[in-house]
Amino acid sequence: METELFVRYGPALLYGFGITILCWLAGSIGGVIVGFILACLNRWGPHALSWVIYVYVEIIRGTPFMIQLFILYYGGPYIGLVLSPVQAGITSFVVYGSPYFAEIFRSGFNAIPKGQIEAARCVGMPETRILWRIILPQMLVPITAPLTNFFIILTKETAILSVVTVPELLFQTQTMAAETFTFVEPFLALSLFYWLMVLVTGWIGAKVEQRVTRHLKRA
Amino acid sequence: MNFSFDTIWHNLPYLLAAARWTILISVSGMAISLVWGTALCATRLSANPFLRGAAVLYISFFRGVPLLVQLLLFYYALPYVGLDLPAVQAAILATGLCSAAYTAEILRGALQSIPSGQTEAAYALGIPSFSLWRRILVPQAVRIGMPSLVNELILLVKVSSLASVVGIGELTRISQNITGETYRPLEIYITAAVIYFAINWVLSISGRLIEKKLQIG
Amino acid sequence: MSKEQMTTTADDAIITVRNLSKYFDDFEALRDITLDVKRSEVLCLIGPSGSGKSTLLRCLNFLEQYDGGEVHLDGELIGWQDISHNPRKPLSGEALRKQRQHIGMVFQHFHLWPHMSALDNVAEALTSVKKLSKKKAKEAAMAALTKVHLEDKAENYPANLSGGQQQRVAIARAIAMEPQVMLFDEPTSALDPELVGEVLSVMKDLAAEGMTMVVVTHEMGFAAHVADRVAFLDSGRLVTCVPPEEMFGREPDDARVRSFLQTYRERNVV
Ligand SMILES: Nc1ncnc2c1ncn2[C@@H]1O[C@H](COP(=O)(O)OP(=O)(O)OP(=O)(O)O)[C@@H](O)[C@H]1O
Ligand SMILES: [Mg+2]
Repeated sequence: METELFVRYGPALLYGFGITILCWLAGSIGGVIVGFILACLNRWGPHALSWVIYVYVEIIRGTPFMIQLFILYYGGPYIGLVLSPVQAGITSFVVYGSPYFAEIFRSGFNAIPKGQIEAARCVGMPETRILWRIILPQMLVPITAPLTNFFIILTKETAILSVVTVPELLFQTQTMAAETFTFVEPFLALSLFYWLMVLVTGWIGAKVEQRVTRHLKRA
Repeated sequence: MNFSFDTIWHNLPYLLAAARWTILISVSGMAISLVWGTALCATRLSANPFLRGAAVLYISFFRGVPLLVQLLLFYYALPYVGLDLPAVQAAILATGLCSAAYTAEILRGALQSIPSGQTEAAYALGIPSFSLWRRILVPQAVRIGMPSLVNELILLVKVSSLASVVGIGELTRISQNITGETYRPLEIYITAAVIYFAINWVLSISGRLIEKKLQIG
Repeated sequence: MSKEQMTTTADDAIITVRNLSKYFDDFEALRDITLDVKRSEVLCLIGPSGSGKSTLLRCLNFLEQYDGGEVHLDGELIGWQDISHNPRKPLSGEALRKQRQHIGMVFQHFHLWPHMSALDNVAEALTSVKKLSKKKAKEAAMAALTKVHLEDKAENYPANLSGGQQQRVAIARAIAMEPQVMLFDEPTSALDPELVGEVLSVMKDLAAEGMTMVVVTHEMGFAAHVADRVAFLDSGRLVTCVPPEEMFGREPDDARVRSFLQTYRERNVV
């Protein structure tokens, strides 16, 4: 019985897992990139822009992801933005994640002592080089933990994409549950699976953190 | 396309009525979260390794599984184990049990930031352990953890939207229903977003006020 | 070394400061400072806390944008494009970087980059600013570290160096760029007393080699023995600028200088 179910639904579940990972990875990477650009604009861009960014960050952080997803997916076509469920899922991840990432990067920038940047200016280093060589490498230390944390949040947020029929893991499980009239076991198994995914993400984050803090240890 | 303020105006009463459910779910969820979270935190800090391990496992699981999946699991599993709760209660319970995992960690962090000298001083005075918790440690932990707890409540307001999936008529669900009738998703969902934002804005403002009060008191 | 009075001709002055003023919002941090630093001269800046010593030093390499007056290095106006233009416009980043390469700076708290080894701290600007090859940069960096007697600590990260060693790396980082002048802002104030000597001795060597140095310091012994002139600042104003024998030797005329130095006399430093 069990094996038969697995043979029947295995491919769909595997496909769902692939979609989950795709949305998660693409959304996270996009979110990190946009968030980083926002943080840079906030720091080095014109003053008026930092106001716009502030409002954007507050709006996104003050509203549920699900509503943002609905606005994009159902409201988008009314302003000429027609997206497939997966496209909408990834885009909404970028929109939703970037303000949080921007905040993480902002606090990372602020964690670098001003004197170190002045010292770099004093030897004539260009600002881009200072960002690349002085700020970024050190920023990894304070931001790794919050970044990992947010990647974990996003891992879990992928489940919400099922609501707009993104064929990800939860969606596939729901389909299977409805067709087989078994509910408890599949959702229990699914829970364990997400749990595992989150644990693995956390473990990778901890490893990265160990790596980036190496130079701070006294020999 | 033309943005129809009329649609918003007509449906605003329904949306606001639905927002009361949003608030009810998140506030009751928070209440459960605080009570259960405190117990969980105490268990997590207990001397008994089995209790401690169980708490660690609980916290890890509830923080590791999407709340939506937890809600569905709860929704289907409760009748299975013979508990027939109405959907709203089930959603509140699930939200509270999940949030408790976070609250427990917030309280633990706060407790650990209280200088251990205070505990020692209390023991030196012969204050019994339970009173120590109730009168000295917990009040301080709540005060230190206040910003994070308010944050957690704001989070609950946002995740209460997930209850729409199991058919509860809170703000998100009602927005979906209205959209189904009016075919005006942009207007309705943006209005819903504004309402969510307003609730959270009020919460964060009051949070800051409470924080100030607690600091003086 | 020349030990004449303040009346210097522009020719032998490498830094000229004319009517310099600096505001932080409404607060006047520096007022009407006029001062020359000659080639190979060691000028010490002393004065009570908050008198504007750091601010003056930081105006010299435009870490602070001064509001009024001029600072010239070797005849070139520092920081601003053109002072006749109102409001003043700062130089482009590129031009400012060019100027700063000629001005080395050492801070009270070292400000080494903790994620780079001592050698990389020194070599960084040699590759990224002076565009030396990696190999050449390492050689030059090693030479600079040797000058501050730290050749055997080249591979250490700052976390594994003592305060005195960190400050010497910071000095090496600055001198590796072969600047025309060196600015020091209380280079020994953050150090344990037993580590002060090693840093001061490196600075003495630099002075003996003929480096032009402007040093904000509370080490009156250093000021008395190494400086060519000592300038005293109070409330953002230059009170006096005289050779050390005059500053420390006889009873100073100015009451502010007198009371400032008194505290040091009581501690038997001078
Ligand atoms: N960035 C700033 N913003 C506002 N005020 C400042 C700033 N930097 C310095 N000041 C003020 O300018 C005055 C001079 O400061 P400065 O740091 O130059 O003093 P200092 O002589 O170096 O003192 P110390 O011996 O304590 O280092 C002080 O009153 C200080 O408060
Ligand atoms: Mg100073």
